[in-house]
Amino acid sequence: MKIDAPRKYVIDNLKHFLNPSSIAVVGASRYPAKVGYKVIQGLKDWGYRGEIYPVNPRADKVHGLTAYKTITDIPGPVDLVFVAVPAHLVKMTLEHAVAKKAKIVVIATSAFKEIGRGDLQDRLTQYCRDNKLPLFGPNLVGMGSPYLNFNCGFIPYLPIKGPVAMISQSGANLLAALGNSTTMHFGMSFFVGLGNKADVDFSELIEYGNTDPHTKSLAIYIEGLDSPTAFVKACTSVVPNKPIVVIKVGGSEIGVKAAFAHTASENEGTSDAFYDQLFEQCGVIRATTFQEFLDISLALGLQPELKGDCVAMITNGGGSGLLSCDHFERLGQPMQELSSISPDLGLRIRTYMPMFGSPLNPVDISGTASPVHYKGALRQAMRDPNVDMVYCSICPTAVTDVPGVVDVAIEMYEAYKPLGKPFVMECQGGAECLEAIIRLRDHGIPAYATPEQAVNAIVALRKYSKIKEKFSKKK
Amino acid sequence: MKEEQSKPAPEYLLGSPEQQSWMKKYFFSPRGLGFLEPGIVGLDDAKMSAYNVAKSSYQIRPDVFNMNYLSKTVGLGKEEIIQRMQRMYEQRTIVFVMNPAVSVYGWGLYYWMVKLNENTPPEAKAELSEWFQNKDDICTGYECQGDFDFYNGNHMRVIDNLLYDVLEPWKNRPEVKYVHLCPIRRDLRESHVNQFDCPGDGYREVLWGPGQIEKLAQVQDKLDLTDLKIIQALNAKRPMEDFFDFKVLAEVSGLDEKAMLDGIKELVEVKRIIVPLFHLNFMKLDLTNRMFVIRLFQNIPCCRKAEISDELSAIKEFNTVKEFSDSFYDIILWAYNEITDIPALRAKLNSYSEIEEIKEADMTRMYRRWVCRLDDQNGYWEECVFTDDFLQDRTQPGGPECTIRKGAK
Repeated sequence: MKIDAPRKYVIDNLKHFLNPSSIAVVGASRYPAKVGYKVIQGLKDWGYRGEIYPVNPRADKVHGLTAYKTITDIPGPVDLVFVAVPAHLVKMTLEHAVAKKAKIVVIATSAFKEIGRGDLQDRLTQYCRDNKLPLFGPNLVGMGSPYLNFNCGFIPYLPIKGPVAMISQSGANLLAALGNSTTMHFGMSFFVGLGNKADVDFSELIEYGNTDPHTKSLAIYIEGLDSPTAFVKACTSVVPNKPIVVIKVGGSEIGVKAAFAHTASENEGTSDAFYDQLFEQCGVIRATTFQEFLDISLALGLQPELKGDCVAMITNGGGSGLLSCDHFERLGQPMQELSSISPDLGLRIRTYMPMFGSPLNPVDISGTASPVHYKGALRQAMRDPNVDMVYCSICPTAVTDVPGVVDVAIEMYEAYKPLGKPFVMECQGGAECLEAIIRLRDHGIPAYATPEQAVNAIVALRKYSKIKEKFSKKK
Repeated sequence: MKEEQSKPAPEYLLGSPEQQSWMKKYFFSPRGLGFLEPGIVGLDDAKMSAYNVAKSSYQIRPDVFNMNYLSKTVGLGKEEIIQRMQRMYEQRTIVFVMNPAVSVYGWGLYYWMVKLNENTPPEAKAELSEWFQNKDDICTGYECQGDFDFYNGNHMRVIDNLLYDVLEPWKNRPEVKYVHLCPIRRDLRESHVNQFDCPGDGYREVLWGPGQIEKLAQVQDKLDLTDLKIIQALNAKRPMEDFFDFKVLAEVSGLDEKAMLDGIKELVEVKRIIVPLFHLNFMKLDLTNRMFVIRLFQNIPCCRKAEISDELSAIKEFNTVKEFSDSFYDIILWAYNEITDIPALRAKLNSYSEIEEIKEADMTRMYRRWVCRLDDQNGYWEECVFTDDFLQDRTQPGGPECTIRKGAK
């Protein structure tokens, strides 16, 4: 349901959302394949330390914990109510949650507006609003934070710690991102599935993300915006501090219907151009593909903004350099020749490449480059005051010491971090590259498997710099 | 109980006018034969809402049932009825369930009897019993003592899945003497309530033998006569308007009263594919059920078999009556030992010259009441576990299978 601006009581209560001192799981089940079982299992397995109260009128115990017939039978206070009962029991559950003075209610249950029960969903939402009980969902998968050892929902992974807050209407895509986090070390600060987002809106979570110390960038998957005004207000106030990346789906002819059936998102009468304009207006960066969405939000979370257009690329593979410079140009941010960035830099870097290398930009230090060559070239580029950022690529040959180059890259990054220049890496090849990417990410360096991914990330860093400048002035 | 003489089979030949006349009397419900019949709705369909809301909330809101009707019928105040219902639920003596007409949903309803060899160690029987208790596909099952040791049932679409996944794991164990499949042809009565295949207009009638209720009140100490009258009234055949309180259902769920009424009325009264009822958990009352499993002579015509089932279903003491097909055995009947004149029932059955053999056993443990677990002792009271082998091939190792399995409590 529509809101005009982020609501204070919601934002105030959001502190209980990821860090509740007690949780009532309504619909707690004794059967491992049921959602109500997985929720408690997830809380326990991932180290939640607060009180867990299973609610199930048929059971005496669930997961070895005393089960209560209703929320109101629970002896202690309840911060968060997680609802995993059929839709027809949600109304009664909300009444009990209000009676118990719960701080937040999270509804995993489906079968509301997305199947034509919009009226019921609206009535329940209004009831929660009347009682100042923020409602998440319905039709969501859950939420959590690796910093709080909190995984609440039917979510098989807890992501690794990192800078990106992931706010997603789609449970499946959120789970994909969480899975990616564990395999590709895409670090997150917190994550939340919003589902139908009947009550708590993107805008309120954006405001929350702004206050969260672990969050450095926000990644938002949108199927429909019910409250564009509130969204614009929240983004406008947050983007001077933290970058926001969005992916907006459901814009295709059939996607409009699919988005409604999925999360009751209404896109009738809107267009991609409408959203482009809206996102431009509030300073958020729009990704087109899910991979791009992940790639650029990671870079924005890990690295400072790119304050100029002078990007120096160091690579041992001319091919990756060519793919990169073409993609830069496609995205409207063409690379500049090294000589135009810094007249002497090419000469200085030449020391670290064979005679058949190329000191243009991309700087090709050749397929025989060793960690020593990389170190010298990287150091020269990073220290040059005319270089706004360094982009480094590894294309392993039989003589490339990939772990050695990674060591050098990490060393140089750490050494010159105080200069505030972004650093992005690309490593294309086999298993050693996957390991390299993971290690680099673990050290705060956004690293990717293809040049296009890296270039997308760099262009987003530049865009954010311009956004920040524009919105800081407005502020 | 008056003994009846056996009758000759009805005189008709296929295609004769007499057969047409027979068909009018013995119209069998449509059978799904592995696929849904037209008009079937899913068990979570909006038309099922009244049942589903009541099933999910009666534990804390007994007033989802029509207290006006119950109060008038039993002659008690509503509050007292509510309190008694809550106590009965807490005692685990009653549980609200429903019977779907499984055949029109495309399932076969396969029961099977198991006999163990003489001198089978009790621990071997106990081990099997636990396996049956926890095998989710066994939607209804019983441990017995007497001529056979177990009587279990599955709703399944694929007979191979039953054979490979449910029976194969244990049927060749040395202690197993035999397993007899007993596919259900007609479901006439369960839990005292007449079902879809009962004769005449008896659908949903509740039957107890004369004096049984009064006797039941005396032989155990958990339920008094008033409680039992409430249970009788809860199951009594009546329009859905009098069955549920739709205002309370709407209050609990937020769903539309009229839509809920229309939906459940259509399913229970018009299509006759769902029978909601309260099951009396006889285990908690220390009752045992005597099961009579009847084999007819093989030269008895099919039409006479149906007639015999119907005649026996007229005996109100039988709380369950089912007819099998394609089986060694033909009819099963149950009656509580403690409140029934069992020798009289046996004599009645023996008066049928068509009956070749009667096996008897006492049911001492009931695992589930149609997907609803009854094993309070294991902490699974009323955990409802619905299984469906649709699209599954359990003959293939590693193939898709039901994911719901026994787990931690």
